[in-house]
Amino acid sequence: MFSQQLVNGIVLGSTYALIALGYTMVYGIAELINFAHGEIYMFGAFVGMIMVTIVGLPFLPALVIAMLAAALLGVTVEFIAYRPLRKSSRLAALISAIGASIFLQNAALLRWGPQSQGFPRPFEVNQIMVAGVRISSLQIYILVISLVLMVALHFLITKTKIGKAMRATAQDKETAALMGINVNRVISFTFAIGSALGAAAGVMVGIYFNSVSPMMGLLPGLKGFVAAVLGGIGNIPGAMLGGIILGIAETMGVAYGDSRYRDAIAFAILIIVLLFKPSGLLGKQVQDKV
Amino acid sequence: MLKGRKFLLFVAVLLTLALVVVGCGDNGNNNADPDNSNNGDAEEIKIGTVGPLTGGAASYGVSVRRGVEIAINEANEAGGINGAQIRLIPEDTGGDATEAANATSKLIEQDNVSVIIGAVLSSETFAGAPFANDAGVPMISPASTATGIPQEGEYIFRNTLADEVQAAQLAEYASDELGVSRFAVMFTNNDYGVALRDAFVATAEGLGEVVEIQSFTDGDDDFSAALTRIAQGNPEALFIGGYYEEAARIAQQAQEQGLDVQILGADGFYSPVLVNLGGDAVEGAIFTAAFYDGDTADAVVNFVSKFQEEFGETPDMFAAQAYDAARIVLQAIETAGSGDSAAIRDALAAIQDFPGITGVTSFDGEGDVIKEVLILQVEDGSFNRIR
Repeated sequence: MFSQQLVNGIVLGSTYALIALGYTMVYGIAELINFAHGEIYMFGAFVGMIMVTIVGLPFLPALVIAMLAAALLGVTVEFIAYRPLRKSSRLAALISAIGASIFLQNAALLRWGPQSQGFPRPFEVNQIMVAGVRISSLQIYILVISLVLMVALHFLITKTKIGKAMRATAQDKETAALMGINVNRVISFTFAIGSALGAAAGVMVGIYFNSVSPMMGLLPGLKGFVAAVLGGIGNIPGAMLGGIILGIAETMGVAYGDSRYRDAIAFAILIIVLLFKPSGLLGKQVQDKV
Repeated sequence: MLKGRKFLLFVAVLLTLALVVVGCGDNGNNNADPDNSNNGDAEEIKIGTVGPLTGGAASYGVSVRRGVEIAINEANEAGGINGAQIRLIPEDTGGDATEAANATSKLIEQDNVSVIIGAVLSSETFAGAPFANDAGVPMISPASTATGIPQEGEYIFRNTLADEVQAAQLAEYASDELGVSRFAVMFTNNDYGVALRDAFVATAEGLGEVVEIQSFTDGDDDFSAALTRIAQGNPEALFIGGYYEEAARIAQQAQEQGLDVQILGADGFYSPVLVNLGGDAVEGAIFTAAFYDGDTADAVVNFVSKFQEEFGETPDMFAAQAYDAARIVLQAIETAGSGDSAAIRDALAAIQDFPGITGVTSFDGEGDVIKEVLILQVEDGSFNRIR
């Protein structure tokens, strides 16, 4: 039973990790907690579902279109809700983020109604038994796609020119601008990538649980945030680690404890991390720039 | 000028006097000849409803009002009750318990209603019932399933099956008809789920064994950990005390885990969404309900077609129970012979074997409903009545 629960936890955790990547990238570069990220995840799931059910696309093209659409939405949210406040206090940007989140949620409620909608499986799902542990092909898909996306992100940030510009902007916006980096464009790009990753998680979770709804982004959004803080906010490998740990902790909490505490586990972890290691597991202690 | 004004004043006083005299005369007539009062057009009996017509729970309250409306229109079209027309006064609570208390007092003190149908949510009924009971106005809830509602007082009735009645009868059915002896239970962690869990576990333990109990929260997506744990106990049936959305996901994830169990549930399953989301994972699922809109009995067909004609949609369980509650109230008014609240209360308490569309209905000594629970099953993607 333990290894079965471990598989359950890792699959859940890998979706948290994908959501956490979006949070952590945006925080690392724009120093902004993008509370609308959960809604972008929800939006991606809806676009993916519409592509599969109404347009009739196969899984991968639907996933790519959902990621592109969410990237566009992410950039738009940044442009409307965050860019005008870039010079204001961080509290103003945070409030604007919460506003954007509520706005997107209600827009989705208006457009798609409050009911959950089914997300039919776009491919055959088989069960495989490995050493007494049941793994579905869907779970393998989720793990592999998450892994591919994370590796691609790592490559983008460490090996490409835009990645270098992102790292430079993260370190010091003013100096990066003086060196000829278009900071606005780098931040837009960051939102686009983070949103696309969130949408990928949304589509996969939608298929995994066969349902999408306007409120689906709320809790996973918060858990993605907790995962990002757990790993060290702004740190990309940290977000992945945080997501996996959170997924396993939650699953084990239900498996050996009480399922009523499932959501409390995430927030207990958040409080403990903030109390004892506010920089997170892999984060570095840095002087806060005032 | 002055003369004209005086004249107007004189006419006004005259008219007022005339009204008073006519009014008195009318009353005098009634007193002198009570048998005549039934024929008067002015005679009407007022029925109030209390429930959410706006807000998050509005769909329940609107269903209830519509069900009551149909029953009252039927009675009025047939010439009223004992010749008196029935007037409906609907009050909106927005789903709020305080508003329910206000609405109940308003109906009693300002509108002088003879009887109240409501409230809808259990919290609303708990708030409004004491006012109705103290004022001696009978109140019958067509939807509040919480424990303890009829015990609020002798004027408080209920025409909906308590959560625990459904769960207990389902456990008996599973044991007797399906031969299940190993049960697992999952329940949503609110009043509804907890009441279902308590009753189901209490009954099932006498009939077999409850191998695992797991809770979840409304809106949960991931049940894999709980289901893996349930699979360890090797149950034959899984009772889900919750609503259709989560039930569909649980059934689907159970199927994926290779957990081969009979899915059982209560009226929270009763929505086409269960089948839309659950697909073949909910095929064969069995659940309890108070009303089945596919029934071929004349009374049900008549109600369903009237409702569809009037409101353009299929009636749900709330509308059906409200329709029955209103018809029971109308019969009680007929028996009582007037709009007198105390007489209506006694007639209600004496109702026996009323042929409702949600089953043959009587009340127990405390005012709680006694009727058989319907059992429905998912067959080929739609619902079918199996008991």
